Amino acid sequence: MAPLSKAMKVFEELLESPQNHLVERAVETGRIPIGYSCSFVPEALLMADKLFPVRLRAPGLTGTEIADNYLSSFTCSYVRGLLEFAMDGRFDLLKGWVFVPSCAHMQRLYDNLEYLQKPDFNHILDVPRKVNPDTLVWMAEELQNMADKLANHFGVDMSDSSLRKAMRQCNDFVNVIQSIGELRKKPHPPISGTEFHQIVMVSLASPKDLILPYILDFKKELEQREVMKNYRARLMIVGGHLHDPEFIRVIESQECVVVADRFCTGTIPGFKSIELYDDSPYKIMAEHTFKKTLCPRMMEDFDRRFQTVIDTIEEYRVDGVVLEMLKFCDLWGVDSVSLVGALRKAGIPVLKLEREYRLSGEGQLRTRVQAFIESMGK
Amino acid sequence: MMMHEISSVARARLTDLKSAVGYYLRHSLVGFAMEARRPGDILIYVKYWFLIWAKIFKFIGLLLLKKGPVGFVRELIHYPWILTTLRATQLLARLSHGRKGAYLESTGLVIYSIAVTLVQMLEEVIYEPERLLIEEDLVPPEIGRAMGLNVWLVEAMGILLPFLKHNAAEQYIDETENAGINPDACSFVKNAMGMIIKGHMPKGSAIVSSNMPCEAGMASYTFIQREYDVPIYRVDAPANFYDERAEKLFVEDLKGMITFLEKHTPGRMDWNRLKDICTSRNRMMELELELWDMMRTRPAPLASEAVWLSHLWHFYWFPGNPVGIRLYEKLVDLARKNLETKTPAVENESYRAILWNPPFPNFVDIFNIVERKYGLTLIMDSMTYNRHAFIDTSTPETMLRGLAQIILQGPMVRHVRGPVENYIDDIFRCYKQFDLDMVWIAGHLSCKSGQGASGILRERCRNENIPLLVLDYDLLDTRIVSQENMLRQVDHFMENVMKAPRLN
Repeated sequence: MAPLSKAMKVFEELLESPQNHLVERAVETGRIPIGYSCSFVPEALLMADKLFPVRLRAPGLTGTEIADNYLSSFTCSYVRGLLEFAMDGRFDLLKGWVFVPSCAHMQRLYDNLEYLQKPDFNHILDVPRKVNPDTLVWMAEELQNMADKLANHFGVDMSDSSLRKAMRQCNDFVNVIQSIGELRKKPHPPISGTEFHQIVMVSLASPKDLILPYILDFKKELEQREVMKNYRARLMIVGGHLHDPEFIRVIESQECVVVADRFCTGTIPGFKSIELYDDSPYKIMAEHTFKKTLCPRMMEDFDRRFQTVIDTIEEYRVDGVVLEMLKFCDLWGVDSVSLVGALRKAGIPVLKLEREYRLSGEGQLRTRVQAFIESMGK
Repeated sequence: MMMHEISSVARARLTDLKSAVGYYLRHSLVGFAMEARRPGDILIYVKYWFLIWAKIFKFIGLLLLKKGPVGFVRELIHYPWILTTLRATQLLARLSHGRKGAYLESTGLVIYSIAVTLVQMLEEVIYEPERLLIEEDLVPPEIGRAMGLNVWLVEAMGILLPFLKHNAAEQYIDETENAGINPDACSFVKNAMGMIIKGHMPKGSAIVSSNMPCEAGMASYTFIQREYDVPIYRVDAPANFYDERAEKLFVEDLKGMITFLEKHTPGRMDWNRLKDICTSRNRMMELELELWDMMRTRPAPLASEAVWLSHLWHFYWFPGNPVGIRLYEKLVDLARKNLETKTPAVENESYRAILWNPPFPNFVDIFNIVERKYGLTLIMDSMTYNRHAFIDTSTPETMLRGLAQIILQGPMVRHVRGPVENYIDDIFRCYKQFDLDMVWIAGHLSCKSGQGASGILRERCRNENIPLLVLDYDLLDTRIVSQENMLRQVDHFMENVMKAPRLN
């Protein structure tokens, strides 16, 4: 593997803080960062005019003492981490928050934030849990309500043309990430899963236009890079929120390569370009959001989620699946009974890992991955 | 040495025997007769004891007659938990301690009404399996019944069986955990899934589920549907439901459910039948509101199971059933009788409490114990505290709208959706309405929504000077928090916060 490039060093640095220096730079120029925590929030809508989206993260989280008092220690460490950071003033640059009641934890995070900090702009996007013509209309209305609220609060241009422009910008960005992701289909990819996840996370945590030059630089580097040859297995990671690339680094330390990311902050199918057609931008975004987000909160989506995993396994030549989920996550926890069963029935090796938001128990993780690879006969 | 061992073993056995006999005496007809202070109370107890057993024997006799001995045994192998229901009179005994007069009668009435409707349900399951609809517990059963279907609530046994035997759910919980579920998922969900894995749950011709009340329950239906391999319809309640737009969406969803059921089951919508059911439900609610009005009086004329268990069983599973209406009519009469004679349900009523979150199925007699220990009276609970209008039965559309409001604004659904005020303000409203002295939270450890609101609730109660007991426990699993531990939490609260003297 090539030594760490300049771009990768920048990415690592940018991921150290929940509000990196690119966010600071954008704020200094009068732009408005909006924090969000769920993939059901369409990034394109938060890219209109002066707005830009920042995925809420809690990098370097150590303890959650204050958050435990409010959210209890029986909610997931991601939401507790976010509340702890909010209470510590680590999100002071954010001008607004958008949440989705994707689960009880997220709903209560919103409630506690509202109770403890009363942010000027704190919005809940009521995303339906199934897709049909009625719920599509509902979702489009929800997006329009949010856009109106943003326009009134921040005085930003949320007109159709502004939203279309944002969607095009979003597509341009997504296409670049996709083109890098495509390289992972090769028998000997030039990029590790850790590096790719770093790119994805910085792109979610930074203003897209400011991070793009770094990503393009890195893409050029990749063209001249030596490919990875010495690995025993190609793995896919499936699951919910996964923000820390170190988690993947520990997995890859066991002579394997993570070639596909089917989790909340992954690209399959999260980074999909928006199909632009002649209709309301809200309807377009509603349809797109339902298509590109695969979460067990969607009641009728199991078959599509399962099929996506199966198709990805074939496309990316995956040997085994690592199913990761945050402790106390009922959505992935209960769904895993069906998903693991279905994958094993299809003859696919699966390793199920329950974890905390921050990386912990590295030794145990290494041992389990090593045993998993060995169990596959690799 | 040998003699010493033999004698210590003998002593231990004798102690076991003594405690077994003691337990039997405490929880039997004989035990109650020895404890009761008035012959009239013994007569009340004996009446319900006989009525419940008569219902059970009638069911068994009919089953033997219709299915024959082999079929009878086959049904018991399929549904072994039916044997647990034979403990119904033990439940009566546990809940009757220290009670007398109208209050004792209300306890007997509620348990007997459960026995009657449970037998009705079992007969539907066994004799008419083709008309069986599998439903999640928060989908309105009125619709299925109006379509001529028999509705089986997947989660219902998770409540009933631990009432009768505190650890009845644990074998099912273990089964689901062995299948790979996250151990911190709700035991109510794990119980339902475990019963399905073990093949102890009836299988219907279709399933109707929803996204209510929580993620674990919702997600479990992916598994249930795959296990049963029958068509499923999922109702989707919006998170922000207090507006016309949300109600309209939900009504459309209910229409979709009817179309689905007409396609996949022998059921056909009969709007007149739905009207009858809704009218009867309204009548039940009218009677319940009358009961609530009387419950506001201090001391309360009735308490505990007369309020919470009657609602939990009859409104969620058998809304509008004649048995439920008769029960409520009698409860109202009993409450009025006590009110007129100024007889408190709980002798020495000293504290009035509300229980928020579902009651303790694995320790159902806890309120009987604290009644006698501290004069603490359970007046209301969150599952009972509905606040919605009567169903307008004038057109199919208005009926569906009424049902939609009942579901969306019903307990648990409104408490885990929308802003936290839906959960907390309701407690304060209830506290004032019923002139209460304290709030008990059934702190089910796996309920992430309740856990996530615990900090705000504590602070808000402190600000309002409301004594708050968050009783940590697991809904169905006493291995997580034992009954002794739960009682200890109550004792600490009553002694240290309420400074309450013990009455016994």
